[in-house]
Amino acid sequence: MDPITAMYVAQGIHGLAYGMVLFLIASGLNVIFGMMGVLNLAHASFFMLSAYLGFQFVSLTGSFWLALLLAPIATAVCGVLMERFLLRKVHAFGHMGELILTVGVAQILLASVKSIWGSESLPLKMPPILEGQLAVAGLNYPIYRLFIIALALVVLVIMALLLYKTRLGMIVRAAVSDAGMVNALGINIPLVFMLVFGVGIWMAGVAGVVIAPILTVFPGLADQVGMDAFIVVVTGGFGSLTGAFVVSVIFGLLSSYGIQFVSQFAPVLIVSFMAIVLAIRPHGLFGVKE
Amino acid sequence: MMNRWLRLSGMVALLAVLATIPAVFGPYYTNLFVTFAIFAVFSVSLNLLLGYTGLFSFGHAIFFGAGGYGTALALKHISGIGLLPAFGAGVLAAVVLALLLCPIVVRLSGNAFAMLHLAFAQVMYVLALKLRGITGGEDGIGNFPIPPLTIPGVASFPMKDSPQNFYYFAIVILGLSLWLMWFFTKTPFGQIQLAIRENAKRVDYLGFRVSQSKAVIYVVSAAFAGVTGSIYGMFHNLVSADGSLGAGVSFAPIINIMIGGIGSFLGPVLGTAIFQIFEELISRFTDKVELVMGLTLVLIIMFAPMGVLGVARTLKQKWFPAATGGDAPPKK
Repeated sequence: MDPITAMYVAQGIHGLAYGMVLFLIASGLNVIFGMMGVLNLAHASFFMLSAYLGFQFVSLTGSFWLALLLAPIATAVCGVLMERFLLRKVHAFGHMGELILTVGVAQILLASVKSIWGSESLPLKMPPILEGQLAVAGLNYPIYRLFIIALALVVLVIMALLLYKTRLGMIVRAAVSDAGMVNALGINIPLVFMLVFGVGIWMAGVAGVVIAPILTVFPGLADQVGMDAFIVVVTGGFGSLTGAFVVSVIFGLLSSYGIQFVSQFAPVLIVSFMAIVLAIRPHGLFGVKE
Repeated sequence: MMNRWLRLSGMVALLAVLATIPAVFGPYYTNLFVTFAIFAVFSVSLNLLLGYTGLFSFGHAIFFGAGGYGTALALKHISGIGLLPAFGAGVLAAVVLALLLCPIVVRLSGNAFAMLHLAFAQVMYVLALKLRGITGGEDGIGNFPIPPLTIPGVASFPMKDSPQNFYYFAIVILGLSLWLMWFFTKTPFGQIQLAIRENAKRVDYLGFRVSQSKAVIYVVSAAFAGVTGSIYGMFHNLVSADGSLGAGVSFAPIINIMIGGIGSFLGPVLGTAIFQIFEELISRFTDKVELVMGLTLVLIIMFAPMGVLGVARTLKQKWFPAATGGDAPPKK
């Protein structure tokens, strides 16, 4: 296989892996938005918090797998507490209140991780079994990226099954279309909200731990990846999971090939794509007009 | 008649206080006051979008930055340019940017509008860091010449080495901007903005053009943000990505508006004053700006969502039920 093709394939895998991580974050953001109408600007900060907690668990126990299991759950607990004790109280004040509250929480989380772990990049080692390359048909695939793609797909399938095949999923879908009505039917909607919020944060938490070995753990993580995730949600259409998936993949590929060909202007490429989509379809690729 | 005299003497007293600040308080507090004035007017310009039209922007720094970079680039590269033309270049940069963006943004509202601006601000920030040849990257553009303010045939006021002259220049420009914005909200057109905030569809049915009206207010708001950015750049003699385009620059006016009260014209000014004093006191004890900002936002939104003026209004209605509220009714 000639090196040019190898480069294209490698960048493609990198792009897909990044796209999948974006999707893990964006889908949680999107479900929370679709159901509660809350655009959680602290979402990416929880993603970062989970990466830090993952680092902490790895340095305490030495096991990446334990960190992958525990850090997202711990993060989700923080998220649920925020929903229960802060977000729910300002719900009455409307979107602006929620946006400002979540910005405030994002700032507090940023300040907290900086004062606990400092501002330097912390390395998180990937487990030895996932290091190295997998050689198939004359091409080398980095195993860790394949693992990210596989893990994201597993989470995705579980979520889809939960959402479309269980009674709980049915309630959630009904609440997305009319929460007040479902509440009136005797279902405890605030509890469902809390659960959905927790699951959304948990998915971002998984993304935070799995991306940590690639990007390392640093305070700018929330800005760097979070911004892309928000752009994915806006471009794909608020509340649309299909949109989030398609746009995540497009963005992952755009940014990895973008870094290859126009290096430092890759972020501009992504936002230009968003601007073009929004100029033609103001509600996003798959969004429906409110 | 009585009322008019009262107001007139109030204005004269205010002008007298403003005129004597450099002489009475010395350079440190004068500079603090200029910073306050810049951010107060910047916050009011964002409040034209936020409080009056219901458009929530997380990236108002792009216009602040455009104003700063426009002026700095003009002063650095065009030799012999006057103070006012350079200032105008900054405002023009902000207006052009707003004109470029408004075909996209006026079709949006709510979350999409807010998020899009967050993204735009991020892109501008990255561009300012990466386009080193133009913007100077992390260092920004600093130490550019600041020409004297010349009125041909009458007088020339040096600006570079005279903080006092610059203070008067800044205060006059910012005061004029504030007055113009006040005037703007009182016109029938300004009333349409309020109506759009309350019910855009009905405004549409009444025969007003909603998108076009939004575009006009967007450009006006951007222009005044450009004014403040330009003054800020000249004040520090430095325009940098972090100082003029960073997320903090976008969030500061939002915090100021929230503290002061979102519904009224002068609320942001009051909010800026309170936050500035608060920050000045806090910075003597801790350097954790993010923590203070975050906690302030959370506490305000939890306990006083309509800001200080909102609390005052509630108390007023409780104690003096007959008295009526401010100029713009609070948003439901």
